Amino acid sequence: MDFKLSEEEKKRRKEFFDGCKELSKERPEDFIQGLEADFEKANQPYVTRCRKEFAKRGWLRLGWPAEYGGVGSHMDRVFFGEARGYYGLPGVDIFGIEMLAPTLVAMGSKEVKDRFLPPIGRGEVLWCELYSEPNAGSDLAAVTATAIRKDDEYVINGQKTWTTNAHNADWGLGLFRTDPQGRKRRNISFLLMDMKTPGITIKPLEYLNRMHMYNEVFFDDVHVPADQIVGKENDGWTVSQVLVNFERSNVLAVSAVRRMLEVLVEYCNETKVGGKPLAQDPIIRNKLAEVATEIEASRTLAYYIADQQNRNQVAALFESSAMKVFIGDLYERLGAIGTDILGSYGQVKASRWARQGGLWESLYQTAFVLTISMGTNEIQKNIIAWYGLGMPRPLSPVSIEKALAAAQAAK
Amino acid sequence: MNTTFTEEQTMLRKSTADFLVGKYPEAKVREIEESDTGHDPEIWRGMAELGWMGLVIPEEYGGMGMTFQDLSIVLEEMGRNIAPGPFFCTVLEGAYPILDAGSNEQKKEFLPKIANGESIFTMALLEADGISDASGIAVKAAPKDDSFIINGTKLFVEQAINADYMIVITRTSKAASPGDGITLFIVDAKSPGIHCEVIPTIGMEKLCEVSFKDVAVPKKNMLGELDKGWPVVSKVMERAAIAKASESLGAMDGIVPMTTAYLNDRVQYDEPLGRFQALQHIMADMFISLTTSKYLVYEAVWMESEGLPCATEVAMAKSYVNQNYKELSRLMIRLYGGNGTHREFKPGLYFRRAKAASIAFGDTSFQREKVARAIGLVS
Repeated sequence: MDFKLSEEEKKRRKEFFDGCKELSKERPEDFIQGLEADFEKANQPYVTRCRKEFAKRGWLRLGWPAEYGGVGSHMDRVFFGEARGYYGLPGVDIFGIEMLAPTLVAMGSKEVKDRFLPPIGRGEVLWCELYSEPNAGSDLAAVTATAIRKDDEYVINGQKTWTTNAHNADWGLGLFRTDPQGRKRRNISFLLMDMKTPGITIKPLEYLNRMHMYNEVFFDDVHVPADQIVGKENDGWTVSQVLVNFERSNVLAVSAVRRMLEVLVEYCNETKVGGKPLAQDPIIRNKLAEVATEIEASRTLAYYIADQQNRNQVAALFESSAMKVFIGDLYERLGAIGTDILGSYGQVKASRWARQGGLWESLYQTAFVLTISMGTNEIQKNIIAWYGLGMPRPLSPVSIEKALAAAQAAK
Repeated sequence: MNTTFTEEQTMLRKSTADFLVGKYPEAKVREIEESDTGHDPEIWRGMAELGWMGLVIPEEYGGMGMTFQDLSIVLEEMGRNIAPGPFFCTVLEGAYPILDAGSNEQKKEFLPKIANGESIFTMALLEADGISDASGIAVKAAPKDDSFIINGTKLFVEQAINADYMIVITRTSKAASPGDGITLFIVDAKSPGIHCEVIPTIGMEKLCEVSFKDVAVPKKNMLGELDKGWPVVSKVMERAAIAKASESLGAMDGIVPMTTAYLNDRVQYDEPLGRFQALQHIMADMFISLTTSKYLVYEAVWMESEGLPCATEVAMAKSYVNQNYKELSRLMIRLYGGNGTHREFKPGLYFRRAKAASIAFGDTSFQREKVARAIGLVS
């Protein structure tokens, strides 16, 4: 067991860090940092600049099959994530690059791959994910938006919500019920659509701090060509589950939080309260040492997950769930710690009064993006308990009712 | 990078586990714990036959010449089985300082005796302030003819009552910085003037008060250089800290499946407790705590094993595991309910040991202060 990077890996890692550092120098003064960086309208020129640069270097095609211009290894994805997280760079469309591309590679027909993969790799098309609905959150299989086959088209009606980046996206991928009478996990299909298709209406969904990341998307008789399906009709759930088996080391989040801690340490060294630097406060020292330790714990776990995936092509599923819960909680807690340390300034938004550019006020509100989206931390804990530890699934209230009724009837 | 153990290491883990499960069943662990000595010579002989005490001692001194990483696997399994006895102190506080700082003669004299199980070693470091810091060292060693004369009292000396030799950390001169003027001696534990008494502690590991009254130790038993012993102690402490973290990790790795099995087995309200989501999420938290500890420890172990500088990584791993082992054993008691608080049930064994392990070789505050300095907080 070792955590040693080869000379070649060190060289590659440095290339990613150097490249990202260079690019970070072009970042405009008024760029909105934080989890919303990729999505804010005003940020888009720099987001595009980064994406084009990444595409030019091949960094949007890391680990892809060679026939689609794939370069580098799985570890390169890890290094790129680390570098990008550290320098807080936008420009990687997680829905296109991290979700759709690996799904297409695994499940897409040749036609679909040939059509959709190359533009993603060139950074030309932005994607959004049409999954959640008002009544299908954690219980994603409860989606009700319908896609009814009519000749060589699907006609879509219904509503999606919490759709990240729909307002910038060119295309959407989503789960729709292709047979409204069908059972929950069956009769769902995985469809791709141009977001400019007539009948699609996008409305911003305001987040706590007014950041524009999420949207509601309404479908009113939206016609989608039938060849824009991935996998078989009514088998979309299976397609969506491919990603469950895809590595989620969260290394980018680890790296980003490491940078935030560095910034906070600088603040504590430079800021005097009562004539003494905050850094000399024993409680602050203890807290920040604890956070630094947790960051290192998550970094080593991220490397483990990535190495297992790289070496054995087996996803460390429960470790990935553990990682997701841990890093999300860490974000929430660091948001609280940072705003506490800033005292009165902990409430100030990015403005001329703000300290550290309002970073901590922003993190305090946006950290929920990590703990809630992509399977809430509570759902991850179910996965760990039921599938990782082998604990029996709880009885649903419905089955308890049925059992009670059966017992009553037997009497 | 390769985050998988080698086949040989996996076999070492299995053979260690087999021996421990066979020789250290829970009843035996309790028997040793409750005994006056806290040491079972028969098990000790068995461990010597397997070569454990000489695992990291080079072959030329009668050992097996394996790595610290290999040793950490044995320690994990010992932690899982809560195996009491003088193994940890003999290897980490005896063999290693001699390997680090001993002369050729000292290595030839003592290492083979450690490897074959003939000699039990321990280290006498802490004093009244209980802090693992050079400023606390007041036990004096003064030169006289061909000897040094030691006077003073050491505390929390593990297994001193069973030890054949103690490595005693003494102050040999007053210097500007507390780290200067410290000298190590290998002292025959049966020397006249030494008195040992067991301190009653939560982990019952036979931590002793050892008093030295005009104890003469020959100059040739000085370990390392006169007045320059603190760096040797620091290295021993660092290595022992990560070794203790490995032992604790093994215990945590035992707690999670053991508690899961208990919950899945015990029926209340006509259902296994394991079906209740309130308990499932506590178990998931325990799994997360274990999983995030694992690779932090493994990274530090690997660095230590390779001789890479790793003071910060060790401090992180030790502080993190300190907290997590305590928390996991606390939750284990809670999930076992009333049975968890019964002296005869397993959780209490872990719970008591976890507290002791978290104190040994640098508690959480001590380790976090090291981390605070390493991340650049000005002091």
